Amino acid sequence: MNSSALIHALLDGVLTGSVYALMATGLTLIFGVMNIINIAQGILVILGAYLSYTLSVHFGIDLFAGLVITIPTLFVVGIVVERFFMTKLKGPERTSMSILVTYAIALIIEGALNMIYSINDVQLKAWYVNQSFRVFGLWIPYIYMFGFFLAVALLGALYVMLYRTRFGASIRASLADQTAAALIGINVKRVSTICFGLGVAVTAAGGMVYGATNAFNASTSYDLISRLLTIIVLGGMGSLGGALLAAILMVTLGDVIAVVWSPIWSTPTYFFVLVIVLSLRPQGLVGKLSVREA
Amino acid sequence: MAESTAFLRFEGIVAGYGGGDVIKGVDFSVPQGGVTCIVGPNGSGKSTLLKVVSGLLRPRLGQLWFKGTPLVGLTPREILQLGVVQVPQNHSLFREMTVEQNVELGAFLLKDRKVIAERLKNVREIFPIVAERAKDKAGSLSGGQQRIVEFARCLMLEPELVVLDEPSMGLDPKTLRLVFDTIKSMNSAGRTVLLVEQNARQALRMSHFAVVLENGLLRLSGSGSEVLNNPEIGALYLGGSIETTSKAVSPAPSEL
Ligand SMILES: Nc1ncnc2c1ncn2[C@@H]1O[C@H](COP(=O)(O)OP(=O)(O)OP(=O)(O)O)[C@@H](O)[C@H]1O
Ligand SMILES: [Mg+2]
Repeated sequence: MNSSALIHALLDGVLTGSVYALMATGLTLIFGVMNIINIAQGILVILGAYLSYTLSVHFGIDLFAGLVITIPTLFVVGIVVERFFMTKLKGPERTSMSILVTYAIALIIEGALNMIYSINDVQLKAWYVNQSFRVFGLWIPYIYMFGFFLAVALLGALYVMLYRTRFGASIRASLADQTAAALIGINVKRVSTICFGLGVAVTAAGGMVYGATNAFNASTSYDLISRLLTIIVLGGMGSLGGALLAAILMVTLGDVIAVVWSPIWSTPTYFFVLVIVLSLRPQGLVGKLSVREA
Repeated sequence: MAESTAFLRFEGIVAGYGGGDVIKGVDFSVPQGGVTCIVGPNGSGKSTLLKVVSGLLRPRLGQLWFKGTPLVGLTPREILQLGVVQVPQNHSLFREMTVEQNVELGAFLLKDRKVIAERLKNVREIFPIVAERAKDKAGSLSGGQQRIVEFARCLMLEPELVVLDEPSMGLDPKTLRLVFDTIKSMNSAGRTVLLVEQNARQALRMSHFAVVLENGLLRLSGSGSEVLNNPEIGALYLGGSIETTSKAVSPAPSEL
């Protein structure tokens, strides 16, 4: 085993992990506020990647500049999905029904993407995807660093919004107790809609960075969603800090295991850790067992 | 009570949760300026009735008038804006937020920082705990302390009508007295109080008007002492039904 490979693994864990954290934050936000598990999050990441692809290939728009278009677009997609489908889900079966409904939505989007873009793999192109810089004697493509800064900036913005604004306070109140939130005048329905929009909007940024660092097609979404789900389960469903911690942990662990042992063991080891953590802390690393009163 | 003088009036309210009706047609009026108490056995629909008042539950039939304004169909937010606030049966503080943040959120509907600061100051004077434990997480307070902070939070809107669902639930006798005293002083400060209580005797003693709810229907109503001294209410809580005790005409035992 060589140490530069290990440094590389750690570096990749933090750089790539932050992007996963961004995508998972959207998922955990939606779950926390609405009790909805959005299985479509994976395909929405791919949708975001394809939108960036179209803008860059057909319109010559830079991947990062294109986010000005793709983030609002996916925000609107989220709002529409929430208004048309999620508001119909009521009662105690809401969470399990949401899995089925969002899975159906995922299949529809997947079919549409296959039709439009074919099933051939593509990857986003830009100078910062091809060119690398040197750190600790390693060559790292610029996109990893840019993607990291993007994720940190967006997570930071989300944090400021949540903890420093009135709207953020209404989200945190709704996260904790919807009835209590409603009784102080928070419009929980509106908060839910906007949270769903925000939760989906982050996939535009996540998808762009993912698509620039990986070859993808629509079916890549299955791998993505299973990773995202395990991240939010490990972090604690509905916990934003937990999603960040678990994402970085997952990617770093996978990379380190691949280096010191074998890539074959990356995923099993992560799931082993997941099982151990959950058996000790069923609520996840940062989660709480009873956030809401029954 | 004449329509014009009714402060809050329930008119043929029928409500439930999708299954059968829980509230099966309730009519009564809450007089302005007093304490009105709803008593009744577990599961009789008291909380359900209060959810109709706060707008959390839309009744299937009937209307609810607050000072002549129909409330049915309004959102909880709109009902708050009319001056009706509610403290629910379960603890409703945001446990991860500080006491002060919780109380400030009581003024969520207000935009003016100056007004909010002014009200926070008033509330601190009435409830010292709001200042003493300002930076502590609400979840770290005892049940009774949380109740007091909930009261403080609900007063931030300076409501005309305060609706309380079993405020004394789970409190020791001393805290219970404090909670009841607080309710009395809220009332003396000019706020009308509508309250559900299981500590029926104590609650009825301070009530100007009271109703007994059984199985979604009103069985009795009258002044606090009338209900307190009615032989049927004792029977209700002993599990008997009104029919079997209706022949009982002897006055209620004096300790009631
Ligand atoms: N969210 C709900 N969904 C379905 N049924 C409910 C719901 N809340 C209450 N009920 C039912 O409505 C009936 C009345 O409940 P409610 O909470 O209004 O009673 P209560 O008089 O407040 O009782 P308690 O004194 O125990 O608080 C009960 O049979 C209960 O099971
Ligand atoms: Mg109740």
